[in-house]
Amino acid sequence: MMNPALRRILVRHETLLVVVLILEVLFFATQGRNFLTPDNLTNIIRHSVEIGLLALVMMPIILTGGIDLSVGSLLGLCAVTFGKLWRDAGWGWEWAALGTVVVGFVAGGGNALLITALRLPPLIVTLGTYSLFRGLAEALTRGVDAFTGFPEGFLFLGTGQWLGLPAQAWLFGLVAVGIGLWVHNTTFGRSFRAIGFAPEGARYAGVPVERRLALAYVLAGVVAALASITYTARFGTAKADAGTGYELAAITAVVLGGTSIFGGVGSVGGTLLGVAAIAVLTNGLSRLPATMSSASELSGVFTGVLLLLALGAGILPKAIAALRDRRSSAQTPAQPVP
Amino acid sequence: MTKSFFHLLSAAIAMAALLGTGCGPSNNSASGDGATQTAGGSGKKLMIALMPKSKGNAYFVSCKQGAERAAKELGVDLVFDGPTNPDPAKQNEIIENWITLGVDAIAAACENRDGISTALRKAQAKGIKVITYDSDAQPDARSFFVNQATPEGIGYTLMDEAGRLVGPSGEFAIITASLTAANMNEWQKHIEARRKEKFPNLKMVALRPCDDLKDKAQAEATTLLGAYPNLNLIMAICSPAVPGSAEAVKQAGKAGKVKVIGLGLPSENRRYVKDGVTDSVILWKTEDLGYLAVHAAKGLADGTLKPGAKSYQAGALGQFEIVGDHLLLGKPFIFNKDNIDQFNF
Repeated sequence: MMNPALRRILVRHETLLVVVLILEVLFFATQGRNFLTPDNLTNIIRHSVEIGLLALVMMPIILTGGIDLSVGSLLGLCAVTFGKLWRDAGWGWEWAALGTVVVGFVAGGGNALLITALRLPPLIVTLGTYSLFRGLAEALTRGVDAFTGFPEGFLFLGTGQWLGLPAQAWLFGLVAVGIGLWVHNTTFGRSFRAIGFAPEGARYAGVPVERRLALAYVLAGVVAALASITYTARFGTAKADAGTGYELAAITAVVLGGTSIFGGVGSVGGTLLGVAAIAVLTNGLSRLPATMSSASELSGVFTGVLLLLALGAGILPKAIAALRDRRSSAQTPAQPVP
Repeated sequence: MTKSFFHLLSAAIAMAALLGTGCGPSNNSASGDGATQTAGGSGKKLMIALMPKSKGNAYFVSCKQGAERAAKELGVDLVFDGPTNPDPAKQNEIIENWITLGVDAIAAACENRDGISTALRKAQAKGIKVITYDSDAQPDARSFFVNQATPEGIGYTLMDEAGRLVGPSGEFAIITASLTAANMNEWQKHIEARRKEKFPNLKMVALRPCDDLKDKAQAEATTLLGAYPNLNLIMAICSPAVPGSAEAVKQAGKAGKVKVIGLGLPSENRRYVKDGVTDSVILWKTEDLGYLAVHAAKGLADGTLKPGAKSYQAGALGQFEIVGDHLLLGKPFIFNKDNIDQFNF
């Protein structure tokens, strides 16, 4: 299934991202103000953990050729749930966090059920739950209620340092290693790739496609709940609009990281590089004297430019290789069906 | 080998693109002198950061114009950044970035009072001076709040304007956002106090909520016009209600007969003011608000403004009163036919 040429293209994309990342760091370190300071590196990590977590679980889903548009809204719903359980139900924050993860599990399970049992397209299902979850979050708080005044022990998860790193970096690292091993080093995870290439083919090959798809969406729900915890702990406030637009930021990072939006191709390492490239760019722009006052807008523009360039640079050698293949042999290689 | 060639080529493209995008804006930026000044990181110029609730909002764009004027007069570097999309955590992220950037003072308009206070306290802990303007944070998260309008100032100005337009006796109605909104109830208290004191024969005949919706305000105003044939004036105290009431009066053909005044943005009401439907729109000069915010932030940073001060001298704008830890912008400003074209927010 996985031919060596394709593998090499993957490697190539990641190398490209590493080069981009190094250039970004060099550029901002020399041109920006106080960029390479421990405090600022902490900022970069803290500010990208939630989007990074969502990107990590979005990656296997996109790898199967699916998509989950509901994770940002689910983050909002989970943040509100956490606030409700802690303040209104009077649970300790640890229990409230556990309850929130259960809500994420159930919400992800709902997505999974609709997608696998009813065979509805993930785009449609999660577009629906995108509205549903945000709507529920707003209904629970009537749009205005905000939960605040959380205990110090909880806020530590979002603002504290542990063993020299921001507290939430440890959670992020754990999830990243777990998903990386799962996707690349288990037959289970590797079957995502097969499903993304050709779901019917995978089914005939004996892969329990539905069950595996379902797990990817459930996992997205659980991790979105974890992201809502670090988000609330970092921000100190849980409100229904938490995580607005995060699903698109996560998808952007995954695609920038080299995962094909049609499925079948991608790597967790690439996704991590994609997250890092965007995070460094966004932060760096706010430290260039010339772009300080327009960093918010420019980071959007440059992320877009970076995405298009990375995709273009990724496709160019592939297109030329395909052209050469066609010329050298009469037999055209079978194209993966999107 | 061709493969490694393409590998190299892609990397080169990315490199060129990155350098290109990175250098591009620094060459043609308006703050070119700032670029050379602070590149070394040891410029003695103070750096003041100003945060709007959202960047595209015309109200804050106009605050920024005043802020830029103040920065120029004071010789400080001004950083203006804020969220462009409704992401509540963005304000915090920007402030955290400003802390490590090493700005000297921050002036923020707070979207989420409790949320932003965490970040502002962190800034204060790092020795950065913090003030708020337009909408406050928690008192312990900043030194001063630049208060654009006191409830008394708003209430008195509205009532005085009503009295000026209607005369000593007549009838008026108020359209508010909701009967429970704390700030509006506070304004009404002062409107009533002023009425009793100066215009005892001007009667308030009705008080209607419009849920902060223009359509609903228009419907309420239409009902009022029918129910009170002797009505002289509608006072709209939430911003959608001003154009809403004006539209109702216009459609009823009562322009000029029933006056409309209210609290709102000049831009939303310009049409009605010029048509003679709305007589006055009351707000503050947002440019002055931005000017004062930056000026006071600089004052805090260099020690000319200290906690406990009773007044503050802000350059070209003169002296401002301080009550407690509120720096008062002063009386609201009245926009009417003669001056409304000078304002674009």
